[in-house]
Amino acid sequence: MSSNINTPISRRNFLKWSGAATAATVVGTKTPVLHALVPSDKKADASNAEYHFSACDMCLNKCGLVARVENNVVTKLDPNQKFLKSRGMLCARGNAGIAQLYDPDRLKYPLLRKGKRGEGKWQRLSWDEALDYAAEQLKKIADEYTRCGVLFSPGSDMQSTFVHWFAEVFGSYNVTTHESACLLSRNRAYLDTFGEVPFSDVLHTKYIIMAGANRYEALITPDSIDLMSTRKNGTKLVVLDPRYTKTAALADEWYPVRPGTDMAFFLAIIHVIISEKLYDQAYAFEKLYGLEQLSEHVKQYSPEWAEGECEIPAKDITRIARELAAAAPAAIVYPGRRTSDYVNSTQIRRSMAILNALLGNWDRPGGLLAARQVGLSRVELPEAPFYEDNPDDRLDIGKAHMMFEEEGSFKHMRDAIIEAKPYPIKGWFVYKHNPLQSEANRQRTLEMMEKLDFILTVDIAMSDTAWMSDLVLPAPSYLERQDPASGLQGSSACACVVTRNPVVPALFESKPVFEILKELANRLELGEYFDFTLEEYRKQQLKNLPDAERALREDGVYYNPSKLYGVYEGRIYKTKSKKIELYNERYAEMGVDPMPVYKSPRKVPSGRFRMVVGRNAYFTHCTTQNNALLHELMPENSLWIHPKAAAGLGIKEGDLVEVSSAVGRGELKASLKDGIREDTVYMASGFGVLSKGLTNIYGKGACMAEILEDFSDELSGNMAMHETFVKVARKVA
Amino acid sequence: MNSKMIKRHAKITIFMHWFNTFCWFFLLATGLGLIRNDDLQLTGGWWSNLMVSLFGSAETLLLVHEIVGLVWAGAFMVFLVFGFRKYVLPFLRQIFTYSPSRDLKWLIKKNIQMTLGYKWLKRLGFTPDIPEQGFYNVGQKLFAVVSVLGGIVIVVTGLIMFLSNILIDNTAIVQWAILIHFVTVGLVIGGLLIHIYMAAISPDERPAFFSMFTGTVPEDYAEHHHKLWYDEVKTAERKAHSA
Amino acid sequence: MMKKQLAMVIDSSSCIDCKACMTACKVENQVSAGNWRNWIKVQDADFAQSGRPEGADSMHFQPGNCMHCDNPTCVQACPTSATYKDEKDGTVKVNENLCIGCGSCIPACPYGARYRRPDKKIVDKCDFCEHRRQRGDLPACVTTCPTKARTFGDLNDPDSDVARLLKRNKTMRVINPESDTRPNIYYMSMTAPLNWPVKAEIPTPIQLWKFVNPLVWGFVGLNALGVLAMLGKQLLVKDEPPVSVHEEKKEDAHE
Repeated sequence: MSSNINTPISRRNFLKWSGAATAATVVGTKTPVLHALVPSDKKADASNAEYHFSACDMCLNKCGLVARVENNVVTKLDPNQKFLKSRGMLCARGNAGIAQLYDPDRLKYPLLRKGKRGEGKWQRLSWDEALDYAAEQLKKIADEYTRCGVLFSPGSDMQSTFVHWFAEVFGSYNVTTHESACLLSRNRAYLDTFGEVPFSDVLHTKYIIMAGANRYEALITPDSIDLMSTRKNGTKLVVLDPRYTKTAALADEWYPVRPGTDMAFFLAIIHVIISEKLYDQAYAFEKLYGLEQLSEHVKQYSPEWAEGECEIPAKDITRIARELAAAAPAAIVYPGRRTSDYVNSTQIRRSMAILNALLGNWDRPGGLLAARQVGLSRVELPEAPFYEDNPDDRLDIGKAHMMFEEEGSFKHMRDAIIEAKPYPIKGWFVYKHNPLQSEANRQRTLEMMEKLDFILTVDIAMSDTAWMSDLVLPAPSYLERQDPASGLQGSSACACVVTRNPVVPALFESKPVFEILKELANRLELGEYFDFTLEEYRKQQLKNLPDAERALREDGVYYNPSKLYGVYEGRIYKTKSKKIELYNERYAEMGVDPMPVYKSPRKVPSGRFRMVVGRNAYFTHCTTQNNALLHELMPENSLWIHPKAAAGLGIKEGDLVEVSSAVGRGELKASLKDGIREDTVYMASGFGVLSKGLTNIYGKGACMAEILEDFSDELSGNMAMHETFVKVARKVA
Repeated sequence: MNSKMIKRHAKITIFMHWFNTFCWFFLLATGLGLIRNDDLQLTGGWWSNLMVSLFGSAETLLLVHEIVGLVWAGAFMVFLVFGFRKYVLPFLRQIFTYSPSRDLKWLIKKNIQMTLGYKWLKRLGFTPDIPEQGFYNVGQKLFAVVSVLGGIVIVVTGLIMFLSNILIDNTAIVQWAILIHFVTVGLVIGGLLIHIYMAAISPDERPAFFSMFTGTVPEDYAEHHHKLWYDEVKTAERKAHSA
Repeated sequence: MMKKQLAMVIDSSSCIDCKACMTACKVENQVSAGNWRNWIKVQDADFAQSGRPEGADSMHFQPGNCMHCDNPTCVQACPTSATYKDEKDGTVKVNENLCIGCGSCIPACPYGARYRRPDKKIVDKCDFCEHRRQRGDLPACVTTCPTKARTFGDLNDPDSDVARLLKRNKTMRVINPESDTRPNIYYMSMTAPLNWPVKAEIPTPIQLWKFVNPLVWGFVGLNALGVLAMLGKQLLVKDEPPVSVHEEKKEDAHE
C-alpha cells in the first residue's frame, strides 16, 4: 500500500476553510471547495530558499553556520560543514538562534525609564530623542566628574570592540568586561607560567585530567567535540568535580573532590612525578625554570597527605601520576575556562600549569598549544584624545596583586563605586552584559546602581540590568547585523577568520551598537573617531589576507594554514626568566607565593553547604534562559542536593526550598541527586530574574547571583563563586 | 383493473428520495474505498485500490467523500427545517406509529409469503390474508426508522470524524465514531438490500417503484397494499365532495 | 534496483545529551511546544554500588526518534492508511491529507514517537526530514549532532555508512519483547536504557472493528441471502394468492 504525498489536492485547505466556515458562518465566500481542487504550488520548495553564511552568537564560540531564508524569514540554522573549529556542528543554542531573532520579548524601540528604577514604567522614545538624551547625560557626567566618571561594560560580541574604542575616545579608563567573572585566574596562571594562555590539543592527546571544567556541558569548540573523538581513540579522561556532571558521567574516572582542594591533588601528582623522576630531564633542564625549588617545595605534598585534603585515594593519585607521565608529552591537565571559583584560583591553576610544564607538553602534539597566527590586521584609528582633568588610573587599580588592566575586576570596581573612592563614577554604559545575573552578590550590584545617575543599556532583550537602567536601546541579533571580522583559535583544528553580514534586515527599530556609538560620538563632538563604516573597518582588518574575502564569501570561513606545533622553536618564553616558570620570580618580588602553597579551604560549617555553580549545554551564562526553545529544555533551575543531606532536612524531590547566604536568598525546587557531594549544593545560573520583560522565566527559580557572596581571587581579582556557604530549608508550600 | 391514480408522493419527496439514493451509493462506494487498512478491509483491498485509482488519490477520495457527505447531510437539514410541518412531521408520525397485533402478523405472514409462498403460509397454519397497512407497511416503516436513526448516527459520527481535524481534541471519541459509522452503515445496508428488492425487483411493489418517479399509484394498488391509507384518502375525498 | 531501507545507526556512547538534535528537529519541522519528534533517553547512574558509578553503572544517554519499523504497529492501527510504510525508501510516513486525526496510532507505537499536532490536529512524527533529503541534505538531527552519534543512510546499500557500521560493529535494537516491531534504528551494543519501549496498544474501537467486521458483513450477507431467496422464489415458483383472499377481504371491508 502506498500513497502519494504530493497530491495536487489539498484536503488541508478544504478543512481549514470548512473550519473557518463552521466558526464564522460566512455567507458568500468564494467557492473554496473548487479552490481546494486547484493545484496548489504554494508549498515551500527548495528553489525558494536562500542560504547565507554567518557565525553563531548564542555563546562565545562563534560557530560557523548556514542560515536558510525563505520569503525573508530565517527558517533554519544549520552548521557550516566547512567550519572546522566546531567540527561542523551546531548545538542546541545554535539551533535556537531563531528564537532569539523572533523572540516576542525582544526590545523593539528605545525606552526611557519613567517612575523608579525597576518599576517597569517606560516611555517610548524616537532614536533621535534617545540619542540626544544619552549624549546629554554622558556629557553632564563628564563635565561634573571627569570622563572617567562613566563606567563601560562592553560585553563580548563582535561589536564589543567598538564599545572599547568609544570608551577610549570618550576618555574613560573604567572598562570592565565579562572576563572578571570568568577566566582571568586561569589566564593569570598560564601567563605567569608559560607567558601565554594556551589552547589544548585535545584531539591528539592520550590522557586528560579535567578539574573544574565540564567540557561536555559547557561547550567549547573544538575541545568539547574533540574530547569525544579522542576518547573514541582510547584517550583516558579523569574528571575531578564535586558534581557528577555529564562530563564526569562519560569519563573513565570521576572523583567527587572536596571543593577547593584540587591544588592538593595536583601538588601530590607533581610530588610523585618529581620523586619518581617521571619527567623528561633533558627537557626540564632546557625549558623549565625553578625545578630545584619546586622539588624541594612539593616534598611536603605526598599523595597520602593529599588524600586527607581532597578525599581522592593516595593510590589513585600515585597511579594517575604514573599514567599521566607515561602518556606525556601527549598528556594534558586541562587548563579549564571559567576559573572564578576560589580566593586562590590563580594559585590552584598555577599548580595545574606547573604540572603541564613538567609533562613537557607545551607546543607539542597532544599538549598545550600556543596561539596560532590568524593574520588579521589592526585597524589604524586616529589617536584617542587626551583629557587633562582625568584621574591617573582606573578606579579599581591595585585592588588585586596581578589584575589585568584592560579587564579590571567587576567586584573591585563595584566596591570602589559604592565607596566613591578614589573618585566617583556616576554613569554606566552597558552593552549586552548583565552583571545583575552574572556577578556574585546581586544586592551589592543594585547598591552600586543606586550610586549612578545614568545607566544606559544596549541589548536584544530586557535583561535584568536593562530592566534597572534609565535608558534602554534595542540591538539587533547576530542574524541581522554586519560585524567586523573576528580571528578564532581552534587549537589543532584551525586558526580562522569569520565575519557576519545581515541574514535578514534588522527587526523593529533595533540598531547595531556600532551605529549607536557612531551617532553618540557625533553628538559628543567625537565624530572624527568613528568616521568609518563597518565595511571599511573590515577591509582594513583583512588587508594582509588577500584570499580571505573570497573564502568568507564562498565558504563562510577563512583558514590561515599557520604553524601549529613547534611555534616556540628558537623562541624565548614571554616570562621574566624567558623560560617556563615553575618558580615565579615576579611573584616572589611582590611577596606572593612564587610556587603554589596549599591552604586548606575553609571548612563548611555544620548545617551549611558549599554552593557551587556551573553550566549546562542549553544556557550561556545568564543569557539564553528565556529563549523559547531552550526554555523548554529547562524551564527553571533547581537545587541539586544529595539525598542523604535532603533527608536530614526533610526535603523530598520537587519540594520548594529556601537557599540563603550571608547576602541573599532564593526559593527553588529541590532536585535530589546522588551525583553531588553531601556537603555541596548546586544551582544553574540565570533564573530568579528581576525583569518582567523576560516573560518565559519571570517568577521561575532562584537567582545564583543573589545568593553568592562576592569573594574574589587574591591575585587576579576574578570573582570567586565557590566560596559561599548556604543554609537550605524546606519551605512549607 | 382500476386505472384511476392517487397522488402518493410530493415532488420534493421524490427528489429527496433519489438524491438520497445517489448519495448513499456514492458514499458507500467511496467510504468502502477509504477503509484502506488491510486488517479492517474485508474486500482485500481491491475495491479500495479501484476507488483510489478512480479518484486519483486516496486523499481526493476522502475529500470527495467528505464533501458529498456534507452535502447529503446539509440537504436533509434544509429539508428538515423548511419541510418540517408539511413533510417531515407527517412522515415521522407515519413511521413511528405501530399497531403491534396487526403489524407483527403482517411481518410474519409477509416474510413467509415472500420467501416461501402462499402454499407454505397455508401449510404453516396461517390464513392467506395479509393484515391491512397504512401509508407505509410495517416493513417500510421499520426500514424508514432504521434509515432515519441510522442516518442520524452516520451524520453525527461522520461529522465527528470530519471535525476531528478542526475542533476535537479527544481522540477516543473519534476512534469510536469511526467504528460506529462503519457498523451503522452495515446495519442500514442490510435493510437497504431488502428495500431495493421489494421496491425495484419484486413485481408486487412495482407500482410503488413507479410512484417514486410519477408521484402517483393506481387506486387498486393502494387498496390492496395500503388499505388503511386508501380508506383515509377516500373518506377525505368524500368529505371534500359533500362540503 | 534494490529497494531502499533508510535507517539510523546510533552510537549512544557518543551522546553528551546536549539536545542539539532535539532543538534542530524542533526548528526544522516546526514541532509545537511540548511535543518532540525525537528524544534523548537517559539512564541514571547507579550510585548504590560504589558511590562512583563506572561502566554499566554510569549515566547513559540514548538518542532516538521514530524507528521506521519493518512491522509497524502504528500502520496496523491506522484506519485510513494515512500512516503507511513507504515501499520506496522503507520509511513509515504520515500522509497528512489522509489523516483524520483519530490518534489510534499514537498508543500503537511502542516508542511514543507520535504526537497529535495541536494546530492541525493530525498526527506527526519523524520522517527522517524528507524535505531535507529531497534537497540532498541529511536529517537535521544528523547534520547538527556535535559528536556525530547519529549515522543515517540506506541499509540496503552496502556502501552506505549505516551498512558499513552494521557490518563492522556489534549492534542491537531497542524493543519491547511483547511488541517487536522490527525497528530500523540500530544501536551500537551496550546502549542503555533498554526498558522504556511500551507494549503497543491498539485502541479498543480499532481492535473491536476487527472483531465486528465479520459480524457486519455477516449481517449484510444474511440479508442478501434473504433477498436472494425472495428473488429465487419470484423467478422459479409460480405463487398466485388464492383468489378468495381478495374476495373475502373486500367483503370484510364492506361490512
